[in-house]
Amino acid sequence: MNATLTLPHPPSPPADASVARIPGNKGIWVGIFCELTEFGLMFLVYFIARAHHPEAFSAGAARLSLAAGTANTVFMLSSSYAIARALSAIRRDEQRACLRWLGAALVLGLGYPVVKFFEVQWNIAQGIDGSAGIFFTTYYYLTFNHLVHVSWGILGLLWVMARTRMGAYSAADYQGLEALGCYWHATDLIWLAIFPLFYVLH
Amino acid sequence: MTPDKRLTRTWLVLLALTLGGGFLGESHYGGIVLAVAAALLVAVKSRLVIVHFLELNQAHPRIRRVVGTYFAAMPALMVLTALAGPQIVRWTSLGG
Repeated sequence: MNATLTLPHPPSPPADASVARIPGNKGIWVGIFCELTEFGLMFLVYFIARAHHPEAFSAGAARLSLAAGTANTVFMLSSSYAIARALSAIRRDEQRACLRWLGAALVLGLGYPVVKFFEVQWNIAQGIDGSAGIFFTTYYYLTFNHLVHVSWGILGLLWVMARTRMGAYSAADYQGLEALGCYWHATDLIWLAIFPLFYVLH
Repeated sequence: MTPDKRLTRTWLVLLALTLGGGFLGESHYGGIVLAVAAALLVAVKSRLVIVHFLELNQAHPRIRRVVGTYFAAMPALMVLTALAGPQIVRWTSLGG
């Protein structure tokens, strides 16, 4: 009796490996998708509340500081740009330039909580706290949550700076640095959506 | 154009669009006109960040689709809320 042993074919590699590339690593994308889900739910609450209370939302934006919102957008975008330049530098194996760009990203990123601090002080002086109405309740809830995510990003930046200083990243391996970059850009994207909702639409 | 120059150009365009958003916030426009203009700004700015900073054009299609759809839905919801507020109220009210 003849027995034939057949082995399963190994899985074929993707036709174009670059198309299936995961920037950073899988773990950071689980975190980013959780962040998008969390803010997605809050955005839904915002839109439903806006539909139910159009007058409150129309009047609310004029009472917030557009200058603070614009400054924070500039800080977030500029910090994101600096991280993109840090990634570009490490791809050329330029560790010192990478560290300088990460330092710039940190300083610019720290501008966000500083502006937020003065903005909240200014709000409270105008009598705008979390109980000032539905618009301001959603504003504090969404923007404070975003501030928490920015804080995680700043801690991540410090970690990645320390690792870069220790020579952990190179043109051959910069996965951790790219993962932090992905998180920071995603947090920037969320702010780009928050900004018009509270500071522009009136 | 070098990748660094492309990044710098993208950043400058993003800053210019942000100032445009600030101008919209100060403008006398309101209602659907303001909602469409603000939504367009969000759509363009988020697309620039997704393509040039996050580099998702070279990423796994699932990541690209999820992030792309999310930041296309956001501006769409801004316009939808301005256009169909009463309808959204009907859909999201309990009881009659």
